[in-house]
Amino acid sequence: MSINGKAYIAGIYEHPLRRADGVSTAQLHADVAHGALADAGLTLDDVDGYFCGAEAPGLGGLTMAEYLGLNKLRHIDSTETGGSSYLIHLRHAAQAIAAGHCNVALITLADRPLAAAAGTGLAGVDRSAMPNLPYSAGVPGIPMFAYAMVAKRHMHEFGTTSEQLAWVKVAASHHAQHNPHAFRREVVTVEDVLSSPMVADPLHRMDCCVVTDGGGAIVVTRPEIARQLKRPLVKLAGAGEAVKHPNGGRVDLTYSAGVMSGKAAFEEAGVTVDDITYASLYDSFTITVIIQLEDLGFCKRGEGGRFVADGNLISGVGRLPFNTDGGGLCNNHPGNKGGMTKILEAVRQCRGEAHPAVQVKDHHTVLAHATGGMLTGHHASSTVILQAE
Amino acid sequence: MSTKLFPSPTQFPEDKPYWDAAREHRLLTKKCNACGAVHHYPRPRCPFCGSADTAWIEASGKGVIYTYTIQRRAPRPTAPAIIELAEGPRITTAVVDADVHALKIGDEVEVTWMPTENGTPIPLFTTPAAQSARRHAAAALAATAAAIDPAQAARVGQMSRAAVVGAGNMGMGITQCLLMAGFHVTLIDQFEASLERARGLLVKALEHGVTRGKWSAEEAAARAARITYSTQMSDLSNAELVIEAVWEQLALKQEVFAAIDKHAHPDAVLGSNTSSLDIDLIAGATRNPERVIGLHFFSPAHVMRLLEIVRGPRTSEAAVHAARALAQRMNKVGVVVGVCVGFAGNRLMLARERQAARLILEGAQPQQVDRVLTEFGLPMGTFELQDMAGGIEIGYRRRQETGEKNWLMDRFFELGRLGQKTGKGYYRYEPGKRTPLVDPEVTALLKEASERAGITRRAISDEELRDRLILPMINEGAKLIEEGIVERASDIDAVWLSGFGWPTWKGGPMYWADTQGAANLLARMNALAAHGDAFKPAALIEKLAREGGRFLDTTTTA
Repeated sequence: MSINGKAYIAGIYEHPLRRADGVSTAQLHADVAHGALADAGLTLDDVDGYFCGAEAPGLGGLTMAEYLGLNKLRHIDSTETGGSSYLIHLRHAAQAIAAGHCNVALITLADRPLAAAAGTGLAGVDRSAMPNLPYSAGVPGIPMFAYAMVAKRHMHEFGTTSEQLAWVKVAASHHAQHNPHAFRREVVTVEDVLSSPMVADPLHRMDCCVVTDGGGAIVVTRPEIARQLKRPLVKLAGAGEAVKHPNGGRVDLTYSAGVMSGKAAFEEAGVTVDDITYASLYDSFTITVIIQLEDLGFCKRGEGGRFVADGNLISGVGRLPFNTDGGGLCNNHPGNKGGMTKILEAVRQCRGEAHPAVQVKDHHTVLAHATGGMLTGHHASSTVILQAE
Repeated sequence: MSTKLFPSPTQFPEDKPYWDAAREHRLLTKKCNACGAVHHYPRPRCPFCGSADTAWIEASGKGVIYTYTIQRRAPRPTAPAIIELAEGPRITTAVVDADVHALKIGDEVEVTWMPTENGTPIPLFTTPAAQSARRHAAAALAATAAAIDPAQAARVGQMSRAAVVGAGNMGMGITQCLLMAGFHVTLIDQFEASLERARGLLVKALEHGVTRGKWSAEEAAARAARITYSTQMSDLSNAELVIEAVWEQLALKQEVFAAIDKHAHPDAVLGSNTSSLDIDLIAGATRNPERVIGLHFFSPAHVMRLLEIVRGPRTSEAAVHAARALAQRMNKVGVVVGVCVGFAGNRLMLARERQAARLILEGAQPQQVDRVLTEFGLPMGTFELQDMAGGIEIGYRRRQETGEKNWLMDRFFELGRLGQKTGKGYYRYEPGKRTPLVDPEVTALLKEASERAGITRRAISDEELRDRLILPMINEGAKLIEEGIVERASDIDAVWLSGFGWPTWKGGPMYWADTQGAANLLARMNALAAHGDAFKPAALIEKLAREGGRFLDTTTTA
């Protein structure tokens, strides 16, 4: 059953903090929940579906339901796939609404790795019994090394260069300068990126997203309710989710599950890449963006480096304005999960409410895409296409 | 290089055969009898067809690099990698203890077994080149211990009494070495205060060893009881071995040796820890110069394994063999060298240091030079090392004696930039931390130094930096062989492996030179001829280039 037109995003909120000293994770969830509900013009009592990830303290959303005061829940979902969780939540919310299982869905993300000095891991995820772990003993399993290896292979197979990777960060920084809440607002050049320290060959420090606190929330509802509210209408036109993993050792690293999730989303929305005027692309690392552009079909496999070069992702300059809030590379990547903020900026663009310096003129059909997990290992990709009404 | 143990891997019950095989250094993987697929990591059911009919098979341990990256801050060279095993599966692992900066996708690798805390080894991968280099390193070190005259070996083995003259840092370190080798040591110094200080520090070091589990409290007490402190030179009269470790000044050493000679037992071996003075001139202060030999320890003496044994023209064979036996007894790598400035270790290092000092005036930054050196495989960059070892102050004091001026280094001293001791040197340091941080003040000082020297600063590539720093070392190595300072070419490698941290996975300076090839090195040196005599190739290099020969195959005239 298609969910095209069955659900609308009625409210969004991004926490203004990038460092949350003295504020608990639970409180951050509450802040963003109330923010999104206020944006929508709805209340806690309207919410009958709740979605969150593993970083929500307690047991799968139950603790947060009590903390927030959600008493009318008929649908609950704590799917955790890293940063892509929130696009999957959005799809699942639309499916639940379309099937009549809930009317108003609330999705929240919040965490505080920076204030807690918790590094780049995911809170609430227990890896201790992972069956593959003993076989990678002695190997540092952090995301930065995995994505660096993808970049190295991409360079080997397609001739992608460090300069091309750098352009992704350059573009994000051009956008971040307009965002007063962005963690890093300075505009950088390709040379700046290349002279930042090499952290995991071939990735430089500036090829990597920021680590921030805070979070965000989304309210999704059925069309009848959305039309009664006072905000510009943002329709969920299509969505896809897909999983890719090392497959017992038979793995090709030059593409992600985005190939599948993108295809499903475009088919459901009945549009093509040519219809997309803005894209929020998961930017845990610059290479992530390049791989995703190829997987979604914005360019051919192997052409991603050439696609992003020379400012092609800069709003007002290039073919495909991306991450106009500054993205995870410059603005915000709260709790080491960037999917929520990808949706938020896509919604702003779709509403025509992005910063004037970066707002795309034709914002009828926009896209958000995320990759959660390890690009060399288990990951889930999720794609959503939004349309303004 | 780190020999730290890895944490023990979790062992699930169904994986027992894998870990049993690991203990025998055999790599297993899984094959499905139903569909024939090989999968890794191994599990009871085939992930391709679901069958439970899977069997353990032995993997060759060979593979090729599918992709990799480099872990920049690691205790050992580590390149997280995805290796395509010869059997098919692409697995997440790491290439370690190899030249990680020289890896390429498609390179062949082979399994290597790493020890873990509970004794079950884990498989990681390394390169065939690193394995060859390690084999050479082991052979180079073993060659230094070969063929010691049995009479001298017996003589040294039976020795029980030693004397150390000079209770400074080196004297104390040497005393610790002798204690660990079972000697009774008489530590002699003209100043009571120096002896008191030494006593305090030696006892503290012995207690420290107990705390760190290196030896028992009984052993520490026994060793402490084996030290005698004295201001009287005559107290070395029953020592079978005397080692001098006073201030590095010829006249002083000659005076001390004359005194030692007066009181020492006629059969005693007399050693000098001199690092730069002519052992023959020191020996000339005694009546029997044939029993005088250089014993060049490296600081800290109780840690560093290298002992350069310096033979003068009059040193007897018996003394040389006794020194070699002594090195063995002290669990050190004893390398016999002839007399020259810097012997085999410092001679190469000074050649490199001279280039490093020029390069930062020509346009390189200290952090770039240091990064090039650590990427090459050396444990620490030259400027970080100087900050740590107080090189800036040592250089300043030396220039005070000679009257030589060096604007940049004199300015460093005036500004209190002495290194880690003062929190700033070539780098700056956060209080209590040792991590070198780039200091804009240094960047500015370098700029000014270049201007004063009339040098136009330019960007210098990593490749050029590497050749500027390393090729002069090889040149000096070639000269050492030509001049007969070392007994064999591989001794240069033994010196650098055991005393200067040359990585075993890179073999040694002369091993490395052979991997490059003499003709190739000659061409690269000639390309840098504009940079002075350091690049004027030794005749040996030209000869080997012509004949296609290897440094390691050369015999010396020693």
